[in-house]
Amino acid sequence: MNKTFAATLAVTLSATAVFAQDSFPSGPVTIIVPYGTGGSTDMTARPLAIELENIWGQPVVIENKPGAGSMIGTTEMTQADPDGHTLLINTAAISTAPAIQTDLQFDPEADVTPISLLVTSPYVLAAGSNVKSDDLSAFLEEAEERPMFLGTAGPGSSSHFMSELLIEATDIPADIIHFSGGGEAQTNMMGGHSDTYISTTASVMPYVNDGRTKALAVLAPERFELLPDVPSSGEAGVTGVDINGWVALFGPGGMDPELVDQINADFAEAMATDRMQEQLEANYAVAGDLTPEEFREIYLRDIETWKRLAESRNIGQ
Amino acid sequence: MELLANLALGLETAVTPTNLLFCFAGVFLGTFVGVIPGVGPLAAISMLFPITFYLDPTAALIMLAGIYYGTTYGGSTASILLNIPGATSSAVTCLDGHPMAKQGRAGVALFMTTIASFVGGSFGIIILSLFSPLIAEYALTFGPAEYFALMVLGLIAASTISNASPSKGLAMVVFGMLFATVGTDSQSGVGRFTFGSMSLLEGFGISAMAMGLFGVGEILSSVGATRIAKIDSSSAKLLNMLPSKDDWRRSWLPGLRGSSIGSFIGALPGTGPSIAVFMAYAFEKRVSKTPERFGHGAIEGVVAPETANNAADQTAFIPTLTLGIPGSATMALMLGALMIHGIQPGPTLIVEQPSLFWGLVMSFWIGNLLLLILNLPLIGLWVRLLLIPYHYLYPAILVFLCIGAYSVRANPADVLIILGFGFVGYAMRLADLPAAPLLLGFVLGPLVETQFRRAMVLARGDFTDVVTRPIAGTVLALAAAILVWTLVSAIMRYRRGMKALTRNPTG
Repeated sequence: MNKTFAATLAVTLSATAVFAQDSFPSGPVTIIVPYGTGGSTDMTARPLAIELENIWGQPVVIENKPGAGSMIGTTEMTQADPDGHTLLINTAAISTAPAIQTDLQFDPEADVTPISLLVTSPYVLAAGSNVKSDDLSAFLEEAEERPMFLGTAGPGSSSHFMSELLIEATDIPADIIHFSGGGEAQTNMMGGHSDTYISTTASVMPYVNDGRTKALAVLAPERFELLPDVPSSGEAGVTGVDINGWVALFGPGGMDPELVDQINADFAEAMATDRMQEQLEANYAVAGDLTPEEFREIYLRDIETWKRLAESRNIGQ
Repeated sequence: MELLANLALGLETAVTPTNLLFCFAGVFLGTFVGVIPGVGPLAAISMLFPITFYLDPTAALIMLAGIYYGTTYGGSTASILLNIPGATSSAVTCLDGHPMAKQGRAGVALFMTTIASFVGGSFGIIILSLFSPLIAEYALTFGPAEYFALMVLGLIAASTISNASPSKGLAMVVFGMLFATVGTDSQSGVGRFTFGSMSLLEGFGISAMAMGLFGVGEILSSVGATRIAKIDSSSAKLLNMLPSKDDWRRSWLPGLRGSSIGSFIGALPGTGPSIAVFMAYAFEKRVSKTPERFGHGAIEGVVAPETANNAADQTAFIPTLTLGIPGSATMALMLGALMIHGIQPGPTLIVEQPSLFWGLVMSFWIGNLLLLILNLPLIGLWVRLLLIPYHYLYPAILVFLCIGAYSVRANPADVLIILGFGFVGYAMRLADLPAAPLLLGFVLGPLVETQFRRAMVLARGDFTDVVTRPIAGTVLALAAAILVWTLVSAIMRYRRGMKALTRNPTG
């Protein structure tokens, strides 16, 4: 036995010892993705799973459980043991669902432990060829003269909520029109059938770069670091629309705070890898980098905002 | 010249040993997935999706695409031999394919569907390589009003596709549309007829519906049947497989028309192969001088839908690749395979990734050739499948149907749904009600409804605004003309029949 080998063995053994003390994960970890294979959330989860297998030395299994606007998979997660071996990666849909689905089989506050904000970016207000304006202030004036059709990816989708939020904040005369998914909302806007579509940076920026779609504003108080040329809604004097889109990690309710901190740190490490950083860059998004407590505040605040909006704008009633 | 350079680049990419291998693996797997009823391309691609992580994106896409269009080649096999569609888009092929098999012409039917698939596929590829950007641009002019008009045309044109009495056919179309109303309302988000079940919020899946009605229904109705007409295995002999001169003469025009209809419907992001087959079949039956042959083993009734679904498969890549807009769940998976490699699908894909786009297009052509070479010798094997006693074959198929239903979204409720539709299909057979119009209503119904409601929102409630749009108006006028013509000819037939009856009361 040569020295190098002995040294490697010693390091490996001690590393195993550390894992044994840590006790998490003590077996395979299942991450539920409440959407189909190949969707954008799945695209975040799958490479993450590979990085986490490296960090944890345990298999990380992605389970796609689509249906009911992500609530089938989410409900399943809330019923699992809170030992960290069953987790959920979901979008802001988990915060909008309580506002419109009155028959949820879980309590979004008590039965869900928010762990990490993984990916975040502001929403972009995009407009098609029918809209003459190039920025939000001009758009608001144009909308007064010609009431706009705000296209969404479907009732209850985040684009629907954001469009309602924009109408509420700016008081423009506008009609909501629902399409089946973001793809249809995008094509109908490009074809001049509807006027706008509010979506995440990842889905709308390829069309903005191509010149087929205009980015009127990022819906945030200030410009987004990755899109310095797109004005913010704050610059146009519009407030009350600064909610960000996100993809985040959740566990069942009642998880041990120390375990939550550890998983948060492990995911932060996975998000910092080259693979994930490249993906973030391609999607014009940034890693969340928040503590579980900070993210919990955002999660609960968003739920409240959507509940209030659903009531005032009569969504899903 | 630029096109030639692109094609050369594509060919160069597609014939590298790795890409060839993955192309072959894809179409080979696709053929088998297609032959097995229930397990569709979506299930197969979802299962293989994780391994695309470890592949070069071009190879990954070539393989996944091969599964996709390979399925459509194999899909007609079970339709013809067993009257159970292997894939949803092959349901219409049952109508004339199975009667052909019963007449001992199973080999001919399978031979012609393979040729038809190749012709349709090639047609689609030519359209894809020559006119992609143009078509993608044109497809954008199709808004809700245009889709609504097109779907109304499809519904009216295709409502008489079965040979049952028109009233039974129409009743089944409406019945299908009623089933389609289950699920989340497209404009208000309210659950309709879901009875509080989360599983029903997304409605019944089209594949669960088709596989239940046709597959489980067929199996249930064979239970207790004392003797099922055995298909003569001699039809597997090469001589009996070759179509006659008459078959060729009857097939080439339907093949061209089927390819054109399929290419058009496939290229629209809001429609797909399942709609294309109905339209192609209905069109053939309408232009045929002998529409009464349809449903009794007319070769046109096999060629038209089979060219249409393969052409649609290829042109479905137009919106997916040139705009980054997937027209179906399967297409969304293809885009996902690009996204995991950091390639953003979108309008700039062709410019930024020419070798990927053209390599894929050329791989389609190679894949279609491979499928042709692969499928012709397999015909004999498939026909021999029928030598397996039905009491072994049918339980196995039932298992595959259930697995297929479950695999779409890993929801056990879908297994119950497919069985439920099996009983509906069985009851319909007992009452002599045709299943194809029900599927038609189910496929087109939700599109007619949602697109109409969207069109009315965009027209601010003014219906004249919808019908005065040039494309929508023309298509709707055409639909109205067909409706009037159908009614008039029905009345004339009825009168002639009455006259004949009064002249010859005993007849």
